[in-house]
Amino acid sequence: MNALPDRYASDELVLRHPGDGRTLAQRLTKRYAARITGAFVVPGREGSYASLPDDLPPALAQALRSRGIERLYSHQAEAWAATQSGSHVAIVTPTASGKSLCYTLPVVTAAMTQRAKALYLFPTKALAQDQVAELLELNQAGGLGVKAFTFDGDTPGDARQAIRLHGDIVVSNPDMLHQAILPHHTKWAQFFENLRYVVIDEVHTYRGVFGSHVANVIRRLKRVCAFYGVTPQFILCSATIGNPQEHAEALIEDAVTAITESGAPTGDKHVLLWNPPVVNPDLGLRASARSQTNRIARLAIKSGMKTLVFAQSRTMVEVLTKYLKDVFDHDPRKPARIRAYRGGYLPKERRAAEREMRAGTIDGIVSTSALELGVDIGGLDVVVLNGYPGSVAATWQRFGRAGRRQQSALGVLVASSDPLDQYLVRHPEFFQDAPPEHARIQPDQPLILLDHIRCAAFELPFVGDEMFGTEVTTPWLDVLGEEGVLHREGDRWEWIADSYPAIAVSLRSVADGNFVVVDRTNGRQTIIAEVDYTAAPVTLYEGAIHMIQSVPYQVERLDWAGRKAYVTRTQVDYYTDAIDYTKLKVLDCFDTSDAGCGQAHHGEVHVVRRVPGYKKIRFYSHENIGYGPVNLPDQELHTTAVWWQLAAVVLDAAFEDRQQALDGFLGAAYALHIVATVAVMAEARDLQKSVGSGDGTWFVSADLSGRGQIRGIDGQPAALAANAPFTPTVYLYDAFPGGIGLSEPLFHRREDLVAQAVTLIERCDCRGGCPACVGPVLAADEDAATTPKALALRVLALWVAL
Amino acid sequence: MSALLQKLRGLRTEAGLAAPVIAPPASTDVRRLVQFRAKHTRPALPIASLDREVVGEEIAPGLRFTETHADWPSPPGIIDARFARLDDPVHGANLMHFDTETTGLAGGTGTRAFMIGAADWVGERFRIRQLTITSMSAEASMLRTFASWLNPETVLVSYNGKCYDAPLLATRYRLARLPNPLMGLRHLDLLHPVRRRWKGVWENCRLATVERQLLGVVREDDLPGSEAPAAWLTYLRGGPATNLRRVAHHNAQDLRSLAGVLLHMARIP
Repeated sequence: MNALPDRYASDELVLRHPGDGRTLAQRLTKRYAARITGAFVVPGREGSYASLPDDLPPALAQALRSRGIERLYSHQAEAWAATQSGSHVAIVTPTASGKSLCYTLPVVTAAMTQRAKALYLFPTKALAQDQVAELLELNQAGGLGVKAFTFDGDTPGDARQAIRLHGDIVVSNPDMLHQAILPHHTKWAQFFENLRYVVIDEVHTYRGVFGSHVANVIRRLKRVCAFYGVTPQFILCSATIGNPQEHAEALIEDAVTAITESGAPTGDKHVLLWNPPVVNPDLGLRASARSQTNRIARLAIKSGMKTLVFAQSRTMVEVLTKYLKDVFDHDPRKPARIRAYRGGYLPKERRAAEREMRAGTIDGIVSTSALELGVDIGGLDVVVLNGYPGSVAATWQRFGRAGRRQQSALGVLVASSDPLDQYLVRHPEFFQDAPPEHARIQPDQPLILLDHIRCAAFELPFVGDEMFGTEVTTPWLDVLGEEGVLHREGDRWEWIADSYPAIAVSLRSVADGNFVVVDRTNGRQTIIAEVDYTAAPVTLYEGAIHMIQSVPYQVERLDWAGRKAYVTRTQVDYYTDAIDYTKLKVLDCFDTSDAGCGQAHHGEVHVVRRVPGYKKIRFYSHENIGYGPVNLPDQELHTTAVWWQLAAVVLDAAFEDRQQALDGFLGAAYALHIVATVAVMAEARDLQKSVGSGDGTWFVSADLSGRGQIRGIDGQPAALAANAPFTPTVYLYDAFPGGIGLSEPLFHRREDLVAQAVTLIERCDCRGGCPACVGPVLAADEDAATTPKALALRVLALWVAL
Repeated sequence: MSALLQKLRGLRTEAGLAAPVIAPPASTDVRRLVQFRAKHTRPALPIASLDREVVGEEIAPGLRFTETHADWPSPPGIIDARFARLDDPVHGANLMHFDTETTGLAGGTGTRAFMIGAADWVGERFRIRQLTITSMSAEASMLRTFASWLNPETVLVSYNGKCYDAPLLATRYRLARLPNPLMGLRHLDLLHPVRRRWKGVWENCRLATVERQLLGVVREDDLPGSEAPAAWLTYLRGGPATNLRRVAHHNAQDLRSLAGVLLHMARIP
């Protein structure tokens, strides 16, 4: 292993004694002033308190006091009052603000006084286990006689019957509710007949695809509850998002009372926004975020501070883990100090990482968003974000993982060269003042809806003109009838197939066509990972280096039809990155509006994506050391999009030639995509951009020099005849079959988006264009009379409302 | 094919799901339809059949009832059921052997019984009664009729009924909002004592093996249990009743074997 010499081992920045966030922040600020574009302290806050409510059962009040709880935070008291008045409640408070007491009090009270039951849903098993441990302690402290159990995939069969009959509080997750509880609701009859509260924690995670599924699982839950004659009260909890009440109401399709002021005291949190130094002033190239993240994490760990690094992709988790392990875990005889944590690992591996982190044997953990939630991994001192997580809300949530009692914590956001990152890191005021983004769901997404109507029909027959959520079910039931799973008799639709539909529906994807990764090293046949269908073409092509716990595996064979990738262990000094081309055709236009001299549209499109090859990139130096071909079927997608067009006459008047116009469109698309991604709280990969002809006959991709290259429908470079129709178009589309509801809000905010894209480009520090505004440009273009930046602004100006 | 179905099918393909949805061509051309059916086993369209004869008397709309009585050489008096871990002796007149035929093995709320067979001792004779539904809506009548055959003294006899038939019926009674008549009854599930005794001795402990080993029963033209769901579904969709009648034969034989196995085991010291 040729680890780079560790220049920081004797660095004077390393704290001698395990330090606090403030000291480390000060030292970093002093030493690296030029890299820190923003530094602020989120000051600690005094608590706001209320006395224990008088109407609390005395035994519960006594149990709280014996656990050291003499009074409540103000938001806990408000939650008590709201639940007692019978309304659905949404509580929005930061990490570690004692939000679980907000639901524990009404739930335990109802269990003690009326033997009423409660169902808790957490997004992960680990959170559920934490919660039950907490409930058991409270119960023991007061001898309350309330029984709480987790019910998840690990619950043994013989325990399940007892839980169904005797559990006062059943703590589970949406997947179990979907696959195990609702399809067997008759076994839970007593539980449902007495169900009084449904508690759903971490509801901010239920957005996009997952949230759309969960909203449908809630529809099914309410339908089953109605069968048993109960209307449970919902208590929802969320981390900070822009629209907690609206989101909670969208999830349960009912009115909620929102409680948004936290009364919990907090310690100081120091936040640094960090831009890697410019290494090539001509090109505006900066050092990589990973090198900076690596440096900060190393410094923090050497200073004895427990450190959590968030990376944006699974690959980056592996790369950063390897870098840190090269420094801290080079002696294989000693227990590991660094661990990786991400989806795609087997659950027991993740549980082990959580345990070790809590026990304090791990000093550094590198994770994807998997650790964003309240998974209990003990106290942390430093959180480093390798790249902007895509939303202000997620950034604060991740920073929220750092902080122990009585100690200041440090959070560092290291900007990547990604334009969004550069935008934010250069506009710290945006980050400081921005309202957190809105969470959106689309429960009526056709594939998702069909899946859940199918599951619902299995649970209880549909009768007459029954509604499912806001949808009239009849046409959907007809489809399921044609599919042969339902049988219609009179006005009843009955399940007739010999299958268990929930098992085939994953809540995490629009449809479940996942690939498994099979390790064949030395004749083994072990499944070591799972990969989403949409991610497969860009991560599992033959020749790809697939990293797991920073161990590189090479994909030897991809069985596309069988959804399997066969890999073997390998020793290489590079990783791989897929190249992809996209073309797009409009199928249906739902809505059109004038936009300046052009038009904006919203509608349905057909997208074809091709991965022609991949690049090999060397570790550490990140130089491109070669290409490989990829031979995969084109990926097709029918989805929804928003798009902007300008007519040829307008363009011919505004630009010297059509090449200039195309370059302008590429830059405008780049900027619009940045501001749109921020606007709808999308993961960057969930919203995609493309530039092409309005009639779908050609599309434009950036060539090696960053100029727009027209490609025909075969993907080959093409030239346009002078008299050919010329309607370049910028498309932003949902990257899911059937769409997931991102493009409609974008259409409604079309004027804002164009204005924001203009501001983004105008306020960018670069001269001719850069990855932070219109995309990377060549040095030669910087001084051209018509810079890519100027061209993009010219295009956008034509869309600004007159 | 409806436009919605067509659209959904396209989206499923894009999402990486091989379209498992198979529907026949939207055509009235009989020849093409037959070709299609030959290719895809699932009969999705009703094919009007002339053979629609389901045995039994229709005692409620969609509910068929049959009753047969057979002489049995040595009917039981009092049975010593300690082999099945029931301490109190069981009076032969209280035994109710039962077996359901269902729409599948998937479990959960979507699986139902379309036939309930029950057999008991009436004096010297062995009585077999079967209920078959020919429409979904007759399920509640079937459940009520079966409930009327049971009383608090009844001792159920089944093969794997504790884990399969009884919970399935419990679900059906619950969905029909009827009290579950099986609840609280004593239950002799013969699978468990058979396993304790002969596991590892015979190739398996299926009822077909047990009846052959203990009773010398060899079934002729027996419809395998796994084909029962298709038999009923075919009938329900307008197809022939041929296999549904074979299901009834199969079910009746299961009941006779249950009684035979019980008597055999009870007499072993």
